[in-house]
Amino acid sequence: MSALPPFPGAGYPDASLLAPAQDVGAKQKRTRKVKSTKVVDGIEQEVEIEVEDSGGPEWGPRESLKVLDKELQRVDGPVKVSGRATYTHDVRVPGMAWARLLLAPVASLKVARLDFSACKAVKGYLGHEVIEAEETRWLGQPIAAVAAETSEAAEDCLRAIVFEWEARPSVLDREAALKPDAPQVSRRGNQGKPAVRGDEAKARAAIEGAPHKVSATYVVPVVHHACLETHGAVVDWRGGEEAVVHCSSQHTFGFAGDAAEVLGLKKGNVVGLVEHMGGGFGSKFGFGQEGEAAARLSKALRRPVHLMLTRKDEFRMAGNRSGSHIEASAGMDAAGRLVGFAARAHKHGGIGDGSLSGLPYIYKCAESWSEISGVRTNLDASRAMRAPGHPQASFATESLIDELAYAAGLDLLEVRKANLDDQVWHRQLERVAREVGWFEHPHRARPGSAKDELCVGIGFAISRWGGGGGPSCEVEVAIERDGSVVSSVGSQDLGTGVRTYVAAIPAEELGLPLSAVVARIGSTRLGNANGSGGSVTTASLAPAVKHAAWNARQAFAEVLAPLLGCQPPDVVFADGAVQAASGGRKLSWKQACAALPEAGLRAKGAWQAHLQANGVHGAQAAKVEVDTLTGRVRVLHMACMQDVGLCLNRAATRSQINGGMVQALGYALFEERVVDAALGIQLNPCFEDYKLPHSLEIPKMTVVLDDEDRRAPIGMSEAPIVPGGAAIANAIHNACGARIRSLPCTPDKVLAALGKVS
Amino acid sequence: MSGHDARPEPDAHDSASTTAGVGAQLSPSRRDLMRTSASAAAAGLVAPAVLGSHAAHSSQSTAPSSETLSGEIEIELSINGAKQRLKVEPRTTLLDALRNRANPPLTGSKLVCDRGNCGACSMIVGGKLVYGCLQLAVDARGKEVRTVEGLQRGDELSAVQRAFCEKDASMCGFCTPGFVMAITHCLENHPKADLERIKAACAGNLCRCGTQPHVFEAALSVAKGGAQ
Repeated sequence: MSALPPFPGAGYPDASLLAPAQDVGAKQKRTRKVKSTKVVDGIEQEVEIEVEDSGGPEWGPRESLKVLDKELQRVDGPVKVSGRATYTHDVRVPGMAWARLLLAPVASLKVARLDFSACKAVKGYLGHEVIEAEETRWLGQPIAAVAAETSEAAEDCLRAIVFEWEARPSVLDREAALKPDAPQVSRRGNQGKPAVRGDEAKARAAIEGAPHKVSATYVVPVVHHACLETHGAVVDWRGGEEAVVHCSSQHTFGFAGDAAEVLGLKKGNVVGLVEHMGGGFGSKFGFGQEGEAAARLSKALRRPVHLMLTRKDEFRMAGNRSGSHIEASAGMDAAGRLVGFAARAHKHGGIGDGSLSGLPYIYKCAESWSEISGVRTNLDASRAMRAPGHPQASFATESLIDELAYAAGLDLLEVRKANLDDQVWHRQLERVAREVGWFEHPHRARPGSAKDELCVGIGFAISRWGGGGGPSCEVEVAIERDGSVVSSVGSQDLGTGVRTYVAAIPAEELGLPLSAVVARIGSTRLGNANGSGGSVTTASLAPAVKHAAWNARQAFAEVLAPLLGCQPPDVVFADGAVQAASGGRKLSWKQACAALPEAGLRAKGAWQAHLQANGVHGAQAAKVEVDTLTGRVRVLHMACMQDVGLCLNRAATRSQINGGMVQALGYALFEERVVDAALGIQLNPCFEDYKLPHSLEIPKMTVVLDDEDRRAPIGMSEAPIVPGGAAIANAIHNACGARIRSLPCTPDKVLAALGKVS
Repeated sequence: MSGHDARPEPDAHDSASTTAGVGAQLSPSRRDLMRTSASAAAAGLVAPAVLGSHAAHSSQSTAPSSETLSGEIEIELSINGAKQRLKVEPRTTLLDALRNRANPPLTGSKLVCDRGNCGACSMIVGGKLVYGCLQLAVDARGKEVRTVEGLQRGDELSAVQRAFCEKDASMCGFCTPGFVMAITHCLENHPKADLERIKAACAGNLCRCGTQPHVFEAALSVAKGGAQ
């Protein structure tokens, strides 16, 4: 059947329904207080805010959902599996120059000579920019940038720079930094102001009076984000008032503003694009020095410049997760309750301050005290990395809990429950315990013996995260006369699945299959969106998409009601068709859309507090096999149970949880930045020396989504990376009695803990 | 202390490493040749003379020969079934040739480590799974080069590609083309591969997002005929 002719005079939506979100809410104004998450430098803080409640869109009962909460295929899956997805690395613009950076090879240096004459003679040389001509104070600080006609020529130019330098005094580790006569890393000194919580005297007294006590030092190394797509940008400015900038970034609207500043253009005249991006994990918020260098070169050359870091440069200048040194003591009573906890902790964030979550992590304690400060070194600043500060705090706390439980002869699972009021963790711990075979496990209250060659052990740990959102996203849902539906917002997809739910939410609202909706994201030409960090994206963006889709549906219902002989609220959108609730004439989606005016229908959406929630829980169990002859650890099984509120896409959520566990496995067993003790040269700036887990090391993995609480969507991607490292270290101890208090748990440390090597 | 850009050159790692499942047939000497040409250029001598190999014309032999290549030269490659002439330098890797010099650029294979550590540039050359960053473009002459762009027929994804979509085997997706090629090669040679073989087949591929469990599921679903 051909498209219906629009009914004269009845085909045009009420303009008020197409107006921005707040107008809809204004009709029935009510407010409520909600917990939200505010992100400062990638680190979330929980705040309570009063918000207007529109009384409009609702997610509805889960049982009624047709698209959301299901196993969805990513809408960008086909372009990713076929190589057609364009990442910043892949941008090719006519006339594009290729650029490289020269970095400080040591922690701190004085430039003795920086001579570009040979560089200029290289065939293909186009230009260079000096970034630092005098002295540097952190490993990997950029000295200069060069641009050339080809990537090979850019490499030649880089090698032809005559760069001579003298090493300056530097401090490279905590011990050196804290010496009274240590060289000063910054004017603020080598140690940050301590953050103190609790009463030290009371905490120490409580520990002293406890029947079981443990004092130990837990050390976690600096590790790298290791995004497979390195940092960088393609800056396309060829003169004039406007520029287009592609950047591998977690904040499309953020870097575009930075680029405008460097280029001397108005922010509104710079288009920022992040079509696809190859991982960020917290390290890709700003334009960065690499982006600035690209912009300066583009400005000087008046042509597009492609500057992506090499892998080696990525390791040296593109961020890391801060390390920690945590001296902790704790006491436990006979019932397994923590009665006292005291910790003095240092964060190793290079020239930055690093991050460390509050101690003890999650578990309640009658009397606790902690003093946390950053210790600065001449290494590059740490950046936010997936759940900043949480895995470090988890490792120290969960290790201590196990050590105390063994001292008290108590079951490792029961001890945890004894220190947690929230029943969500109880059920999650019990479930993951069952998944890995805990209840059949022979040693649940004391470690196994290393007299066996191969020992199997189990460990536990838990996590939490805020994951609430805030008002930042502006979404548009457009319905065209030909039936196409476009959901658009400038937000970026880091691989979490944002693009898919930007399409899935309108599909659900309009009764369409996912394939009927196109998602457009990753551009400052589209509606504003926040940076993706601290798991704030879903709770910020999903409500705005829902609201836009709901507004579109309301407006469309106004158009369709006269055709269907009913009132607008009685128009039902389901199964790719529209019909009055009472039945009667049924229009296919295409037929219905033909009733729209030439311009189609456009509706905006903004954040709705009641469409998101805050606060996720997670528990993980790890089962490992330790070879007590070689010290090698093999993870056999990891299980995670995680609540996420309403799950927008179960397949992508499982992927995120798997990813958290795989990263935690690397944290537990392999990853550590190594710099030489004299000059601070990084010794492992490549993947054969900085080891990531590979397929042969991936254990059996079990993901259980906790659907019990029927809350709205919550950002969840931080939580799964938190507990795995501690769970694996605990499992090693449980297997054979080797307590490793310094990550990663390498074979030499296992053998040392077993007393087999010194 | 002073130095002339004393960046530590990890020479010790420069020998071509092959990882389980990745049959990169590259002798260390070729990597040396690449380095020789680069350092010659660095000294301002921009006419790198590189010993190439007639053996490149035969898909089997890798015996050195007396062919001398220098400067920018035009070569013909057979890429995904189509002949293409492109200008390369003797030191240009096959990966760079495809990404930067082919027309249109074939950017599906990713540059991640540029030293054979990560598998993001996995492609099938002369029937063998190789790392494109460890192959010289001139050595691919006379061999069929298959990249991720060549797997689908028209708009139809291959069975492996479809399975990756169905099992959510990509997140950020930057490693995905390499995994797709490694699994494709594995299943072409071992259509009934089990989990152990599949894991070994992609042991030379790194993924930071942690997609491996779903990659295994995708591969197994094809091996069992699930995605046919």
